[in-house]
Amino acid sequence: MKSRRWVVATLAAVLTLWLGTPVFGHEPAAPGKKDRCPVCGMFVAPYPHWVAVIEFSDGSQAFFDGPKDLFRYLFEMPKYTRQKTKADVAHVYVTEFYTARLMDVAAVTFITGSDVLGPMGHELVPVAGEAHAQTFMKDHGGKRMISFEEMTPSDIPGRKR
Amino acid sequence: MSKHLKILEFVLSSLLRRKFKNLGIVAVFSFVVFILASILFLTHAFKAESLAILEGAPELIVHKIAGGRHDLTALRYGDEIAGIPGVGRVLPRYWGYYYDVSTGANYTIMGATGSPRSTLQLVRGAFIEAGQRGVCVLGQGVAEARLTGLNGIVPIMGANGELYRFQVVGVFTDPSTLLTNDLMLIAPEDIREIFDIRPDMATDIVVQVFNPSEVANVAKKIKYRFPELRPITRTEILRTYETLFSWRSGLVILTFVGALVAFGILAWDKATGLSAEEKKEIGILKAIGWETSDILALKFWEGAVLSLVSFLTGLIAAYLHVFFFGASVFAPALKGWSVIFPEFRLRPTIDPYQIFVLIFLTVLPYIAATIVPSWKTAITDPDIVMRG
Repeated sequence: MKSRRWVVATLAAVLTLWLGTPVFGHEPAAPGKKDRCPVCGMFVAPYPHWVAVIEFSDGSQAFFDGPKDLFRYLFEMPKYTRQKTKADVAHVYVTEFYTARLMDVAAVTFITGSDVLGPMGHELVPVAGEAHAQTFMKDHGGKRMISFEEMTPSDIPGRKR
Repeated sequence: MSKHLKILEFVLSSLLRRKFKNLGIVAVFSFVVFILASILFLTHAFKAESLAILEGAPELIVHKIAGGRHDLTALRYGDEIAGIPGVGRVLPRYWGYYYDVSTGANYTIMGATGSPRSTLQLVRGAFIEAGQRGVCVLGQGVAEARLTGLNGIVPIMGANGELYRFQVVGVFTDPSTLLTNDLMLIAPEDIREIFDIRPDMATDIVVQVFNPSEVANVAKKIKYRFPELRPITRTEILRTYETLFSWRSGLVILTFVGALVAFGILAWDKATGLSAEEKKEIGILKAIGWETSDILALKFWEGAVLSLVSFLTGLIAAYLHVFFFGASVFAPALKGWSVIFPEFRLRPTIDPYQIFVLIFLTVLPYIAATIVPSWKTAITDPDIVMRG
């Protein structure tokens, strides 16, 4: 009897943990009509296929009109915000190209130099999965595949080097 | 202000004095506005209609081509298309046209459980559930044309010559009048039987593509992998509709170019000079103490009254013509010959931009044309004017 209770408790604990992890049970809120990109000032809602989201540890969010501006923000946070620092960033999501869904940045690779243009020109297009990334490179003439961790400020398109 | 009211009163009575001449102008003017406004209203309503149809249409439709003609599509293509990156659901569709002898119209019959389009709204009853047979859901217009309603019976002649009877379980409407008046839904199993569609075939395949910027690419890949298939994207359909209606409205305008030229001559005639009688009138008014500015106000009000009355008459007539009488004058030219659609009324949609364009093309030039020559007369000495 006691052992069964144990099993139930462990199961419950595992379930809560599992549901609590960001990749599964958690979906960031969609941008509202008035939400602007903190980097370029554009409204975000008209570009649902490009939205990128940062969730801060206090529950607040910042919306971007593309991964390019998301990275600009992350690389130069003091320039764009005074209240938040890098340590406050809890989760980062980008809209994956093929599924048009928000995904955790860990699940995608960013492709540079493709012919797919975002709301503000050349973009770092997020694609999930190796096979899809290869297809994308072939179809849209991408130059490089870069993961979230490997991204450097010089990889951001449209910036003076 | 009261001075302008007095001038307006004078204008109205002097317009009444030359009743027949002014009525002639109003008639020609109204006719021109009526033609132009009818064409604008009609094309706009058709465009709004096609947009409403496309609102719930899928991003990508694929069907087989055999000998340059539409052919039934094998379901096996669907599995391969689903493997293309960026493709979501891939669903077969079953539909066809059915000529109904009793109402003398062509209907679209579609095999679908649930609502095949997000825009359809049930008025009564319910959509067909999976497994239900021998039932149908009608567009409201179809139900009215057939004088039937919930629990009524719709007979349909199958490909094998047998008569099938469908019980009406639901009635729907749609923002598109065409769909409301033309669409009939039955169970997919029923439509396969009626239209004799083999179990491994479908009329066409609907492909969901998550990212709109990838639609053209998916279409290209389908075409490359299966040259026998034809992918049709929503933007292509939209473009076709646009060109079609723009081209047709251009055609209708062309046939009425004569009327436009006549209007041009009328305005030109007004602009180049006044009749001796009108000149004399201006001379007398000046002689009894009217200022040049009063005469300009007089002529402005005269032009405004004439052109506004004609404009409104033409506009209202065009509105009635297009939205209440189904544009009986131009509809044959604009709808094309290949459609035997059931009778339908266009939904009144008006683009304010078009009305402004019409005003700028007709009312303003006319007012300007009447003011310029009277100004010329008004600044000359009344004595010379009256002597001619």
